[in-house]
Amino acid sequence: MVTDRTAPVETAALAAEVEGLLEPAEADGVFRDTRECGGALLLAALLLISPPTPRPKTDVR
Amino acid sequence: MAEQTQGAVPLSAVIADAATGVALALRGEGDPYALSGILRQSDALTSAAVRVLGADALAPYAVEHRAAPVGADDEAVVRQALAAYPPGADASQVSVWSYRGLIEASHAFLPAGAQPWPAPPEAEAAWVAGDPWPKLSHRVSQVAALALPGLAPGLAEQLAARTDDLARGFVRAVRRRDWLQAAGLGRWLARLPDAPSTLGLDSGLAFIRQMGGADPRVALHVVAAQRFYGRGW
Repeated sequence: MVTDRTAPVETAALAAEVEGLLEPAEADGVFRDTRECGGALLLAALLLISPPTPRPKTDVR
Repeated sequence: MAEQTQGAVPLSAVIADAATGVALALRGEGDPYALSGILRQSDALTSAAVRVLGADALAPYAVEHRAAPVGADDEAVVRQALAAYPPGADASQVSVWSYRGLIEASHAFLPAGAQPWPAPPEAEAAWVAGDPWPKLSHRVSQVAALALPGLAPGLAEQLAARTDDLARGFVRAVRRRDWLQAAGLGRWLARLPDAPSTLGLDSGLAFIRQMGGADPRVALHVVAAQRFYGRGW
């Protein structure tokens, strides 16, 4: 694509873009707390290895 | 008209081109640096790009023992940028500091010519002492262009009192993979006298260059830290 650096540019929009580039907002980060993750993993493991809920026997011998 | 604007280069691309040129010059590669050589004076976006880069647009002139003299047209390019984008009444502190940095760099590295350079505007610095460390780190990374030899000595002095907070911010930015912020903070830490040795600033800067060096502004900060303060590999 042929680029044109002399294309007319909206001055006010450019001034706003300059201000935006000078002070961009900080990107949102996703944080995972190791202790929270460990706790969740332990809970899941305990649920998996727990014995089944005892139920009353219904069959008659 | 539509055909013209369709092919227009975005400002970010012009800034990236200019940052690449500055980084090359700081590495001592390529042709002798001239700001007017990497940004055309007739280009509508040149002033905006110089305003965003701030003092970094003149960083190669801060290198001692330059082989070539300052480009004759550079003064006009900088004056154009200063006239076109002065910080308004409601401008952010970062904008004012960046503008001030460009004026200070012009005073320091460019000949005055027929007209004297304007006086640097007063920039407020209460945020340096008052901001919590994550916010401080974010702001300081945005004024990384001021981390040039001799520029903003007052700001550097105030930031020295918060070196540990900036080191925390550096680690935080690396962990967030915010390479631009990390590189800017690393550059400031390279300038400050008491960056903690346990921080691993040199290897940190090398890591940032490896991971985020594809962004020309990240590369520029890392190269500046190495060229002016000998930090990083």
